[in-house]
Amino acid sequence: MSGSGSPPVVLLVDDETRILSALRRTLRREGYEILTAESVAEALRILGSRPVNLVLTDQKMPGMSGLEFLEQVAARHPAVARLVITGWPEEIPAAQIERLGIRALIPKPWDDDQVRSALRDHT
Amino acid sequence: MLWEEAPLSQSSPLVRIAVVQPRPGSALPDLGTVGSLDRLGREATLEVLYDAASCSDLAAREPIDLVILEERIGEDDTHQVLAALRAAGPPVIVVTTGIDEELALDVFRRGAADCIAATSDYAEVLPVVALEQIRRWRAARERGDTERRIRWLEHLHEAIVNEIPAALVVLDGQGNVVTVNPEFSRIWGVSAGEVNDRPLESVLPSDLLESGGVGEVLSRAAEGRSVAPRIARVIDGERGMRAFDVRAKRLDEGRLLLVLSDLTEVELLAKQVDDLQRYNENIIQNMNSALLVVNLEGRITYANPTAELILDTRPGGLRDSPVWDWFPNTPREEVLISRTLTENTRFRGAETVITRASGGIVPIGISCAPMSDRDGTRLGAVAIFQDLTEIKQLHRQVLQTEKMASIGQLAAGVAHEINNPMGFIHANLCQMSEYLDDLDKVWDSMEALRKAVRELERPTMEEGGFAPGDASITARSGEIPRAMAALDGVIEKVDADFLISDFGKAVRESLEGSERIRHIVQDLRAFSHQDTAERVASDLNQCLDSTANIVWTMMKHSVSLTKQYEELPPVFCFPMQLKQVFMNLIVNAYQAIEAGAGAEGGRGEICLRTERRGDLVAVVVKDNGTGIAPDALDRIFDPFFTTKDVGIGTGLGLSTSFNIVRRHGGTIRVESLEGQGTTFEVLLPVEVPDPETETAA
Repeated sequence: MSGSGSPPVVLLVDDETRILSALRRTLRREGYEILTAESVAEALRILGSRPVNLVLTDQKMPGMSGLEFLEQVAARHPAVARLVITGWPEEIPAAQIERLGIRALIPKPWDDDQVRSALRDHT
Repeated sequence: MLWEEAPLSQSSPLVRIAVVQPRPGSALPDLGTVGSLDRLGREATLEVLYDAASCSDLAAREPIDLVILEERIGEDDTHQVLAALRAAGPPVIVVTTGIDEELALDVFRRGAADCIAATSDYAEVLPVVALEQIRRWRAARERGDTERRIRWLEHLHEAIVNEIPAALVVLDGQGNVVTVNPEFSRIWGVSAGEVNDRPLESVLPSDLLESGGVGEVLSRAAEGRSVAPRIARVIDGERGMRAFDVRAKRLDEGRLLLVLSDLTEVELLAKQVDDLQRYNENIIQNMNSALLVVNLEGRITYANPTAELILDTRPGGLRDSPVWDWFPNTPREEVLISRTLTENTRFRGAETVITRASGGIVPIGISCAPMSDRDGTRLGAVAIFQDLTEIKQLHRQVLQTEKMASIGQLAAGVAHEINNPMGFIHANLCQMSEYLDDLDKVWDSMEALRKAVRELERPTMEEGGFAPGDASITARSGEIPRAMAALDGVIEKVDADFLISDFGKAVRESLEGSERIRHIVQDLRAFSHQDTAERVASDLNQCLDSTANIVWTMMKHSVSLTKQYEELPPVFCFPMQLKQVFMNLIVNAYQAIEAGAGAEGGRGEICLRTERRGDLVAVVVKDNGTGIAPDALDRIFDPFFTTKDVGIGTGLGLSTSFNIVRRHGGTIRVESLEGQGTTFEVLLPVEVPDPETETAA
């Protein structure tokens, strides 16, 4: 956590709103300012409009995948910590993880404590 | 010898005489020609003619012995008759009305045999002259016949000796060669001049004379004994084994005729026929298909071992049995072979069942064709069939494989769909458990407050009242505000208001998630079991809809799906198989969109439509995806043809669909424009098609 002052800003991206609301519950007590986006387009708009410390994105989404989204984040907002939450973490190539600077892969369904500690480590 | 007589003219015992005289209606008086000839009696027949043309016709048509030509018919006709008969015809006696030397001279020059004048003794002279002419004519004709006969025999002899495909050799009493025919020269490469007077041993190969038995045949013939023809086989250095039919005949003056007919070619042909027969027999005996030949009465005249094996009979057990006995569940006139016999129709690859001797039923694919001889006379029918038991099993396996492949394509999408609700349900449950812990704290504080309130009330109940200012009461009443403050503190700390409202939300969201999973599992289950053996009346709208739902979970929201279902009559079908067809078409549509409109960010659309068309039900699947290239369009129903990436398509989807639809007696059609989209149309009959038409396609 970034000491005093304004709380860290976390952006959750998933096309499934129920996932966003469940993640919100998981992170309720973590002291973040939580933003959510149901599409990559919306997420990029948010990133362009205000500072964000960390993105946690789903991989399989219609239109653009999580990795393609992170490609853009890495290029345009390199300071933003990048995490992926996916049902098929083994399908993400190690080379991609390294190249895109992905800090953590969180499996879906997730363990609350795992999510919380992963986010704590990278904010 | 019949053909010796054939070219020779007949000599009839009757005398035929043609009289050419003026027509009866003419003004000329009758010379009495016919009357005088009547004296010749019954032996002579007369033909009375009135012009030259009919006389020539008659002479060309029938043998005539004599023509009596009355010169009065006119100079032209007289000349014509003489000219026509001059070369080879019968003699012509010209009759003139008076003595006319000049005229007589002219007709003799023109070939007349005689010329007499119809004077007073005409009636007596004519028969005498006529008989004399006939006698001379017949004698000359017989002489000519004999000469012709000799020439004919010589010619015949020469033709036989030269052309007969047998070697002829004439030997004198000492066994020396007198002459040989051209065939002899051809076979042994010697001319008649070369072998003349040489002993036969020096002309023919020795093994033919000795081991071939020629010598033996000759010596028996020389003794005048009858000899049965022998077959002599010799090894010819250049030509291999040669065979000869050997005969001999004693001629006049102690001469012998030896006839050697070359049978090598015949034996070779016989061997070829034999080989061919063996070859055919080999094929028929060993082929994997059953073969039946039936005669016009429908009785089996031939069955190969495979037929006996399939029908489980002993060798020869099918012979003479009526063919329809093996199709006891089919009316006799509908048995395909019967139809070939009665209607002359051919069948190819028709599917039916046949009953084994033991009573078991075997599915077969059968082809029948009428059988006739070279002249087109019908002999019966021939049927070839295969046991389809194994093929049917394989077919079921292919169906299952294709189904599994389709499910494989779906699995990723479905798993994703299940994984999301599983994810949030799980997270929500964890959270709700934490909420409960917090709410427990609120509960504990509430319990403390309730206890404080009860403490305050207790003495009143025990003592029947309480006095104001009682120290213990004051102390105890002080507990209530403390407990109250503690409760407020906990409520605020755990954010109980939020917890209560969010708890409900989490429960509702989780219930919704579990409902989604339940639907997906329900739809998936529809694909996990096999069809029944019998067709069942099914609602195709329901089949299409449940299939669309399961595929929809995969397609997610990038594609819009519209449904236009018309009310349909129940269709007798194998619903699982048709669901597989629908799934295939919808998955293809989706993949075409992903590769086309979807990939370019356009809006993919799939339209499902059902409608009744007379006796048919139509199911239409239309997409606005990439479309199919014209060259691929012809091949999409071919097995293993695919344009999809390795691992995406098996290439069996549409070919399996095509077969399923065909088995239902229906058709499947496709229209496609590259870059515009594709429309598949499945047409199915409402009625159960009878098994004939089902397989006829």
